[in-house]
Amino acid sequence: MNFEEFKDKVFSYAKRSGLEAEMSYRREYECSIVLSNGELDQYSDAESRVIALKVLKNGKMGISTTEILDDPEKFVEEARENMELIDSEEENLFHDGKGNYPVMETYFGEFEKLSVKDKMSVAFKIHEYAKEDKRIIMVPRVAFVHFVQEDRITNTLGLDLSYKGDGGYAYAMTLASDVSPRGGLYFDVSTIPEGLNPEVIGKKASKEAIMKIGSKSVKSGKYRVVLRNNVVSDIFSMLSDMISAERAQKNLTPLKNKLGEKVGSDLLNILDLPYFPGSIFNRPFDSEGVPTQEKKVFENGVFKTFLYNLKTAKKENRKSTGNAKGLGIAPINLVIDKGNYNYDELLKVLDKGIVITDVEGMHSGANPISGNFSLGARGYMVDNGEIAGGVEQITISGNILDILKNIEAIGSDIKIFLNCVSPSILIEEIDIAGNEN
Amino acid sequence: MLDKKLIEDVLYTVVRNGGDFAEVFVENRFSTKMEMKDGKLENVASSKEFGVGIRGFLNTKAVYAYTNDVSPENLIAVAERVGQALGEIKLEELTLNFEKVDVKDRHPVYLYPQDVAKSEKVDVMKRAYYSAKNFSDLISQVIVNFWDYDQKILVANTEGVFVEDRRIRTRLMVQAVAEKDGEMERGFYGPGAGMGFEFFDRIDVEEAGRRAARVAVRMVKAEPAPAGKMPVIISNEFGGVIFHEAVGHALEATSVAKGASVFAGKLGEKVAAECVSAVDDATIPNAWGSTNVDDEGTPTQRTVLIENGILKGYLIDKLGERRMGMKSTGSGRRQNYKFAPTSRMSNTFILRGEYYPEEIIAATEYGLYAKSMGGGSVNPATGEFNFAVNEGYLIEKGKITKPVKGATLIGKGYEIIQKIDMVGNDLERGQGMCGSFSGSVPADVGQPTIRVSEIIVGGRNK
Repeated sequence: MNFEEFKDKVFSYAKRSGLEAEMSYRREYECSIVLSNGELDQYSDAESRVIALKVLKNGKMGISTTEILDDPEKFVEEARENMELIDSEEENLFHDGKGNYPVMETYFGEFEKLSVKDKMSVAFKIHEYAKEDKRIIMVPRVAFVHFVQEDRITNTLGLDLSYKGDGGYAYAMTLASDVSPRGGLYFDVSTIPEGLNPEVIGKKASKEAIMKIGSKSVKSGKYRVVLRNNVVSDIFSMLSDMISAERAQKNLTPLKNKLGEKVGSDLLNILDLPYFPGSIFNRPFDSEGVPTQEKKVFENGVFKTFLYNLKTAKKENRKSTGNAKGLGIAPINLVIDKGNYNYDELLKVLDKGIVITDVEGMHSGANPISGNFSLGARGYMVDNGEIAGGVEQITISGNILDILKNIEAIGSDIKIFLNCVSPSILIEEIDIAGNEN
Repeated sequence: MLDKKLIEDVLYTVVRNGGDFAEVFVENRFSTKMEMKDGKLENVASSKEFGVGIRGFLNTKAVYAYTNDVSPENLIAVAERVGQALGEIKLEELTLNFEKVDVKDRHPVYLYPQDVAKSEKVDVMKRAYYSAKNFSDLISQVIVNFWDYDQKILVANTEGVFVEDRRIRTRLMVQAVAEKDGEMERGFYGPGAGMGFEFFDRIDVEEAGRRAARVAVRMVKAEPAPAGKMPVIISNEFGGVIFHEAVGHALEATSVAKGASVFAGKLGEKVAAECVSAVDDATIPNAWGSTNVDDEGTPTQRTVLIENGILKGYLIDKLGERRMGMKSTGSGRRQNYKFAPTSRMSNTFILRGEYYPEEIIAATEYGLYAKSMGGGSVNPATGEFNFAVNEGYLIEKGKITKPVKGATLIGKGYEIIQKIDMVGNDLERGQGMCGSFSGSVPADVGQPTIRVSEIIVGGRNK
């Protein structure tokens, strides 16, 4: 049975049972090449599909998903059984397909033109560049991955939308020789293979490790810091949860009741964009089939809007902002507006302090309910605006809302990190713990 | 789950096209996830996953492909691609003698997920919800999640392995949020087991709710933790995440075989304090991280990792076997058929020591008592780890004095295990999801209460 037949059977059975129904079909293809120490470790080639069904009656919704198209009636019954358990009074709904969908190019097809040999050669080149420097003792992992994703969402109210997108990413992990080995990692993502330059990826991964040779911890205290663009992306990813209308309605974000208030520095501007050139997250519609739209989330430090899906919008009698993602809410491309200083100039403005180049433990050490975070970190000392040695074995701690307030300057070095586009940012003061009390 | 003849054809097709080893993994899983907020059931989703993973080796090169189009034509086509990608060695004369291994089921299940009405599961969630919500007026929100699944797998390979296993998992997760003077903090407790619904006869559901609430309430009243290097006492059960992150991952063949681990080449050497012994044991009946066979069809075992401070073993999968010339420890695991298996932990814990936890606290002049831990992560190549303290207290003059929040502990694994100077007698295990190259798998961490003589605490400065 193909999807079309399966869908028709599901919809007609649902209708006969007095249910509205919505199905989404996702097909994914992924090809990855992983090298270890310059040898092919794993090549994989994979294709899968998943079909999700939502049934709706009187505002209550039930869900079932399947990877095999076997029994349409059982599929509906499973979702119906789930629906009947719901006792929340919150009203769920489907979108009928109305609205203006942004027009954008999301499928380029360039990665698919590469032969297996071409892809291997990119991976091997990354490896060569990564290990070029004698101080690099090992390149434990190089990966080159490309993927294609196709989505279709259709419901009994007349919605029927399709999406096809592709992209790829590559990274290298390096180890430099020191008293104990120093790790480096560099990651790039792109919609076309030209965006994954082996020389850039290999050399940057190598430099990341080399720059850490001789790193030391610092004395605990409050420091002025530059958060490098990748670190800004990590820490600001906490905002994704904090600006969800669902979290506001459920009293799970410190930004509740802060709408229209100035919560950050004048320099802070954050947008959510359906399309950002080069991003692999660009989407004309969200997971409920609602058109995506551009919005200002923070403007000159003022918190302007939460992000909504259909259910949370209905609860406040407003329109969805097109931010449904799975069962939750998420920004499409969270873009932090760039400032005037390039990275080197930003270090000059910092003059004396620490550049934080890596943080670890976002999934455990950052709490979007309070905004508090405490993360393992690494970086460089900066003296007279120049890098003056590596810093390791430190933590940075604070609250994201204080970070927003304490922005002193913003870099022009924006880069795409998955669905966050961020520049480096100079922060007036942050708590650092090190090995001297 | 898949016709035996077809499986044979797939395996032959791989090695006829190239490679010296082929494996088929078939998975059929049914799972249910439910979410309750504010005491109301908001989401119920059930899912059926079915797919096949085909893997081939040529020496230490691996090629992996998966699909959920399980038609014979497609599977043979995928097998051809896997073989062709390996190229070179072709085994024309291979004869397969499947020895269907009937593994003894060490993990009896009484109430399978599909045999229990979902409404009964909802009742469990409500009990947890109310006990958390009613714990204190400060509790502002409680989110309860329920997750269970029934996973059937089949593994066959050109070494003659043909084995099936069935894994049942059931887990209740309670997240409580406390609010005081505009500040919010959370507490979490998520007990789980390799059991069916009978799990809820074995645990105190109300206490699970109260436990999450207790942490949230204590932490919302807490001051920020101090910053800097100090002695840290890590409580039993989920505290074992320190060993999991700081040491366990670096003992996986994935890192060790490539020399990308600080513990590579150190077998038989003293790597930890003498009071430290630790094992990985996937045979514990009905434990969260247990299985009868691993995801490569190898029977699981108890593996001694460290004995009295001496490094005794690594966690090895089939590729690790080839790379290291050591036998698999039954540690090949994967999230599902979409991942090629790699060496992973199952139930990993530090063994019982001699001290009562009270003695350890009394012997500490100043430091942090990490009562409950959050997750963490590690870079096995450099040993640098971090993990979060969800519930912390200050210890002053041998006594617990006040709650402190927001601390992350960092360090280098090989240094920390040498600095463990007291091990308690209260071994317990806790449940978590462990993420790595082969996805997210259920894993138990565990330990008795331990003391680390010094570790960097990422708190705030006065």
